[in-house]
Formats: sequence, structure tokens, C-alpha cells
Amino acid sequence: MTSLFHFKTTAGHRHNYPQVVCPNHAVIGGNRHFKTSKSTVNPSVLRLNKYGTPAIDPPKERLEWVVDTKSPSTGKFGRFGGRFVAETLISALEELEVVFHHVLQDPEFQEELTTALKDYVGRETPLYYAERLTAHYKGQNLGRGPDIYIKREDLAHLGAHKMNNALAQAMIAKRMGLTAVIAATGAGQHGVATAAACAKFGLSCTIFMGTADMEKQPSSVDLMNLLGAKVRPTAGSFKDATSDSIRDWTEKLGEVYYLAGTAVGPHPCPTMVREFQSVIGRETRRQAAEKWGGTPDAVVACVGSGSNALGIFHEFVRDPTVRLIVVEAAGFGLNSGKHAATLAAGEVGVYHGAMSYLLQDEEGQIICPHSVGVGMEYPGVAPELSFLKETGRMEFYSASDEEAVEAYRRVARLEGILPALEASHAFAYLEKLCPTLPDGAKIIISCSGRGEKDTETVFNYPIS
Amino acid sequence: MAIAAAAATSPTTARTTATLSPPPPISSSSSSSSSSSALLNFGLAKSTARPRTTAGLSISCTMTRDAAAAVAVTEKDDSDPALWSRPDAFGRFGKFGGKYVPETLMYALTELESAFNSIRNDPDFQAELGGILKDYVGRETPLYFAERLTDHYRRPNGEGPHIYLKREDLNHTGAHKINNAIGQVLLAKRLGKKRIIAETGAGQHGVATATVCARFGLECIIYMGAQDMERQALNVFRMRLLGAEVRGVHSGTATLKDATSEAIRDWVTNVESTHYILGSVAGPHPYPMMVREFHKVIGEETRRQAMEKWGGKPDILVACVGGGSNAMGLFEDFVKDKDVRLIGVEAAGFGLDSGKHAATLTKGEVGVLHGAMSYLLQDDDGQIIEPHSISAGLDYPGVGPEHSFLKDKGRAEYYCVTDEEALEAFKRVSRLEGIIPALETSHALAYLEKLCPTLPDGTKVVLNCSGRGDKDVQTAIKYLKL
Repeated sequence: MTSLFHFKTTAGHRHNYPQVVCPNHAVIGGNRHFKTSKSTVNPSVLRLNKYGTPAIDPPKERLEWVVDTKSPSTGKFGRFGGRFVAETLISALEELEVVFHHVLQDPEFQEELTTALKDYVGRETPLYYAERLTAHYKGQNLGRGPDIYIKREDLAHLGAHKMNNALAQAMIAKRMGLTAVIAATGAGQHGVATAAACAKFGLSCTIFMGTADMEKQPSSVDLMNLLGAKVRPTAGSFKDATSDSIRDWTEKLGEVYYLAGTAVGPHPCPTMVREFQSVIGRETRRQAAEKWGGTPDAVVACVGSGSNALGIFHEFVRDPTVRLIVVEAAGFGLNSGKHAATLAAGEVGVYHGAMSYLLQDEEGQIICPHSVGVGMEYPGVAPELSFLKETGRMEFYSASDEEAVEAYRRVARLEGILPALEASHAFAYLEKLCPTLPDGAKIIISCSGRGEKDTETVFNYPIS
Repeated sequence: MAIAAAAATSPTTARTTATLSPPPPISSSSSSSSSSSALLNFGLAKSTARPRTTAGLSISCTMTRDAAAAVAVTEKDDSDPALWSRPDAFGRFGKFGGKYVPETLMYALTELESAFNSIRNDPDFQAELGGILKDYVGRETPLYFAERLTDHYRRPNGEGPHIYLKREDLNHTGAHKINNAIGQVLLAKRLGKKRIIAETGAGQHGVATATVCARFGLECIIYMGAQDMERQALNVFRMRLLGAEVRGVHSGTATLKDATSEAIRDWVTNVESTHYILGSVAGPHPYPMMVREFHKVIGEETRRQAMEKWGGKPDILVACVGGGSNAMGLFEDFVKDKDVRLIGVEAAGFGLDSGKHAATLTKGEVGVLHGAMSYLLQDDDGQIIEPHSISAGLDYPGVGPEHSFLKDKGRAEYYCVTDEEALEAFKRVSRLEGIIPALETSHALAYLEKLCPTLPDGTKVVLNCSGRGDKDVQTAIKYLKL
């Protein structure tokens, strides 16, 4: 299959590495030689410019960084992404893509969506200047440090950014005349958002959730039941629930709508989810312009699969002056084997229909990820983020469970905000980031969700 | 001031209340009845009053049960709500309200009142408050057209009211409470206070207070009944996470009213350094007015949004009433608009006849509680009846004095709804709109069942969705057996 964008690795030439075994799908055509990114447990190192901030050489064609969404494409982000699925799903995905592109241009749909985002979800969410957090970091550095702004996705209906996407896709399902929706959820946020959107539009809703996750987040299960959704347990965790739900979709094509929760999966799912989450970034640009008349110097987001990160990044990808920083879950530590740091420690392969980085062992079996932030426990990552990593457009770091819990407590104490444990990973990275930044640099952190759901976890977390 | 002092300021409102309509007239010879000693109770152990006789008294005074008849003043026609003093200079709404507090607190209340009046028109303060409400709290909250709920109440012939929800549940911390907490903490900072105290029942107001104290770096102490602390361990932890100190109160029934009394006691002791953030429109003047003013943004936004959406005003405003702050917040801007119906919904608990409810305005009598004269649930001895509601926020034996005033004037109507009806509404709205309302709010939502069939086609109903129900999911699931 040809790709619209040609990608050259920074290393230049290709190596003849042994073919990576893809456990779920056969690789149809395509490139069988992969550049491995083994043991890149070091954070990406970039050249620094005279201000001490990383200098990114803009590519000769800026378009290389962005995949065009206005017309149907192969869904490739460089060599990542694609549509590695069983033949039966291909026509459903093609139909979905057509409908997606149609609604993007349909003013009626857009108006209904904008109204729903405003009146139901509570957009736009504020860009909040975190005065005490800023003072905290400046105080540690002789009064010099960045200005920290928080994009408050925790204030969205149901307390996470997931609602932006669930709402839009539920509307698409209705448009397609489907009355049943299925989805898979890890921590439960996407399941709850989907259940709520289905309740609002009168659609029936089935959520697949791993039994391990159901035990860790019983409150989410209760919420889904209350909202009228049926929760179907799957043995295992999010990855198994996702596989199960895709299987279910394949069986019930034409009867159910598969509501992807994050920017993974076969094309067009990653593009759709990113598109519906990109409202976050668009608002952020406007709010930043209002507040300080410019763009941020750095945007920091946590990444589990990548929907909130892509949502806030997409608007700024073409702006090389804006650093894009993701923070993954290092769990018990990157060398412990119990983490979810896909970009740092993963290898390229095909998973859930897309080519991307993923945590796999030598036999190509998926490694079970771990993080205290349940929403981070995905062994893969959005193909678009893999692309941004390889082009060097995005930097990736990680934070351990302990650092995340510490950050949760710190933000609670200093700002009266309880960030979701997932978002706490982004806040944790501030500890390392702030001392390196010049005075007055503008950082925006995406607070992707609220952390009331995590109070019990933090309560029970052993204090070292 | 002198007049206020003469009007029976009863000291320590902590454990007792003084009813203004004791059964026997004082001229009777059975003068050591408990009611007359209740009038003169200075916290002493049971003391027998001296026997009185009418001989030698040159002033006669008639005490009647019917307070309205005692007011012999001919009032000018005040059927126009715009002309009502809400409150007047002494903090009264008609006969309700006032400042029934120990002498030590009078100065603090006066100081608070003048500070509040100075910031009311201070553009810098208002700008700062507005900025925080916007960026930190997430205002303005949307006015959401509840399509499926409207459909649900549509009659077979297609007619029915249009139901809009004012989404206070989308605020930071998930309820309207933070509007007031932010305003008061900014006021406290202006007064130079470094220490904040508050009381809390289930923890919602405590969490809101701890939140704003964390945001502004102030010391925070929350008083909570020991029984409530056990039932709400997670909220206690949350408050501690936010940097607050949570002190358990073991006296009395170890619930909200005892925590309130303890908080007032702390305030009396530490009045110079401490500001007391009262969570509702109850308490001594200037609190009912202040809290209402900080919440009135709800109604102001609603007016503007209603104009945008349908080019008019709401026909009916509905809100749940515990202490009454969210209702006053929504109603305030519309009180002067006589064509807007104001409806408050209280908790009928297990039912009005069960004795286990919190329907103060329906079943209460006038008395003084926590510094203000208002309706309250009291027995014949003037002791507070322990209220009950499945929702902690409505579980208050009193009600804001302004609500008592609006009820007596007939400007607002008050109904009530049982636990069961509230739970049904909780489930119904979750399933129809994907919004999980707080159990408190669910009482207002439950009242729609009785209200909507009576309304003509196209009536615009705005309901204050005062909080979200994540905190109530466990309770609801248990009772609904989902």
C-alpha cells in the first residue's frame, strides 16, 4: 500500500532487522522491515537554541508533520497507522470514513455538535493560571521560573475530556441510523462518557470492560449502570476489552456502532478521535492569545493511548516554537518491567488494527502494562503520536507511580484541584521541567480529568 | 443598634432555641414552666423562675401564638416585590432574619457587613472575583435544554412545558457551593484574616471551603460531626488532602447542627483572626444577604441565557431547598418579576407524617436557630427535631430567613418530595439525559412529575441542577438495587 507522505528516518537508511511477529493480524503488503527503537529509555535529546529551549529544525515541508483530514486517505502517519483488520471490517471502516468526512463539512451537524459541546459538556473549558503552582516552582529557583497554565478538561461534563469525542460519535451513530453502540473502556472514563452520550441521544449502550479494571474502578461500573448502559466483563484488562469489542463489532456489522475512545485502532478511528478532541487545542490557542498575546512555549500532556495529548497538540503541531511534551507512565520504574511507557520502551508492531509502538516481548506477545493511573494502562499508543515521536516533533518522558501520587497531593494542596491520576503524571513532570525553563516561559498543562475517582487509590497508597 | 439590643438577643444559640410563641402567657401563676425558662436561658442549669404576679406591673404585654396578629403596625401596601427591603438595615426580611448572637460576635458581624458593602461596588474586587469564577470555577455554567426530559413530560396531544437545566453541576467541585466559598474567602483576605473555619455535614461544603483555602493559601479548619466523619471517610480524606484540618465534634448527636454550634463557638473565641465561612443563606445577618449575593450570579446568567435562547424570561424557576442557597441564587434576580413563579422543593424524607423529614417550610414553626429567626423543625419544648433526608445537603432543620419571608409573602411556593421520589428522579434523569444529578437536586427534579402536567404548552421551566451526583451513586445503587 502506498503512503501519501514519504518518511525518511533521521538515521537515513534502513536496517535488515528480523520481521516482528504481529500476533493479531497478518501484515498485508507493506514494509516488513522495521527500525527498532530498543532501549530508548533516555528522554529524547534535542539541540538547544540560544534561549536554552530545544531547537527543532522545521522540516522542508511542514505538511510532513500533519496528516490531511479533509479527504479520505490511507490513514497513515508516516509508516504508522493504517488499517490492519479482518476483511469483514474494511467496508464498515470505509463507510465510517465517508460519514466522518461528510459530517465535518455538514453545517447542521457542526451546529448541533457545537451547541451540545457548549450546553451539555460545558465548553469552553478555562485556561487557568495556576498562581500557587507557579510560585512554588519559582520559589525553588530563586524566584525564576515558567508561568504555568492549566487547561481545565477536568471541568467538562463527567470530569474528563472523553466526553468531547463520545458526544460527536454518538451523533454520528444516530446519523447512520444505528440504535446500538458498543465501546471498550479501561479506567471507565470513556465508558461513562459513552453511556452518558447514549442516554442523551436515546441509544442503547454496551460497554466492554476488563475484569481487572472493574475491580480497580467499581465506581465507574456503577456510573455506567446508572446511566443505563450494560457492562460486559472481559477477562483481563483494557487491551482484552478492546479486542473483544472489535470482535463483537465484526459479528454485528450494520447493527451496532463501535465508538472508539482513543486515537488508536484502524483508520479512520485515530483520525476521528483526534479531530473531535482537537477542540481542546483550538480553544487553547485562542485563550493563550487572549491571555498573553502569544502561543505557549511548551504544552505538556499525559499519554495513555493519546487522545487528550493529540487533542491539545494538533493545533500546535505546525508551530515549531511550541514544544510538545508527553509524559507516560513509568509505573514501578522503566527497568522494573511494570510500566506503560510505550514510546520509551516499546517496539513497532501492529496492534488493534494499527501500526504503532507497543509493549511487546521478543515473541511479539503483548506485555501487560501497569500504572497507578488506570487510564494509562494501554500497551500501545496512538499511531499519530508514534509518528510525532519519530519525526522528533514531540518529546516524551515518563513519571513513576510515586511521582504521580506526589503530584496529585501537591496540586491538591497548592491549587485546590484534584487532578486525575493520569493527568498527575503530566504534573509530575513539572518537577524536572521547570528548573530548565527561562523565567516567564509559558507552559500549558492539559488537566485531562478530575481526580475524585482516584481519592481512594491515593488514600491507600503507601507513603514512603 | 439600641433597638437591636432591645429585641431579645438570646445568647449562645448553641443548644437551645427560644420560641417566640410560648404556650402560656407570662401572667399565669405557673411560671416555672419550661417554656419561660427557655426564653431566659443563659446556659445555666435548670433554674426556677421567680413567681410573677400582675400586681405592681405598669406595662401589660400580650403574648399570642399567632405572631401575625401581634404586629399591629399598619403597613403600606407592599405587594410589589421590588419595594421589599431584603434585608432591611437590621438584617431582617420582614420579621425573619436578624442577628441573634452573643455580644462578642456583634462587632465581627458589623465589620463583615461593612467590608461586604465596600466590595459590592468595588470594580477591582468584582473583576478579581469574576476572573476566578471564570477560570477556576468554570463559569458561566450553561443553560441546557433537556430534550429527552421535555419529551418525557410531553402529554399525548403533544403539549408540554420546555425544561431547561441550569448546570451548576459543572462547577469546579461539582456544586454551586463554590460560588459563595470563593466570594467569602476573597472577602476574608481583604479583611486580613488568615484563618478560615467552616462546618460541614456530609462534607460538600467542607470540601468547597478546603478547596478555596488551598487555592488562596489560608489556614483552614473544618468542623464535622463525628458520626458524619465515619460515614464520609473519603470526604474527610479529601479535605485533608486539600490541606484542611478536620475536627470531629462529639457533642449532641454528633451531626451537622452540633458541628455548626462548635464552629460558632470557635468563631466567638478567635474572632479577630478568623473568618467563618457559612455555607448557606442561614445564620445571622449579614450572612443570608452575603451568601445570596455571591450566588446571585446563577440567576443573572440565567436571565441573559434565557433571553438568548428564547428571547424572554423563564416562566417558572425550580430549585431544591436545604438551607436555601442555590434557590436564592437562582431566584434573586427574578424576585421582582412577579410573572415568574418561584418554586422551592424540600425533603419529605420518609414522608411528612413519619416525623422523619426535613420539610421545614411545610411543617416547621418560627423560631431562632444559629443566629437567625426563621422557620425551623422544633418540638413543643423548642428543641430541634433531628431532620432526615436521604440527601445530606437537605438534612437541615432550619431554612434561610429569606425563604421564610418569601413563603409568608406568597411570593414563592414550597413543596416537598420523599426520599423515594428523589431516587426515582435520580435514575430517570441519569437515563434520559446522561446527567447524574445530586440527590439534593433530584428532589427538585422529582417535583417535575407533579408540576409538568399542570403547565400549559410551551411554558419555560428552568430548574437549578445544583450539583452532580457522583457522590451519591453508592447510596442510590443500594436503594435502587441496580
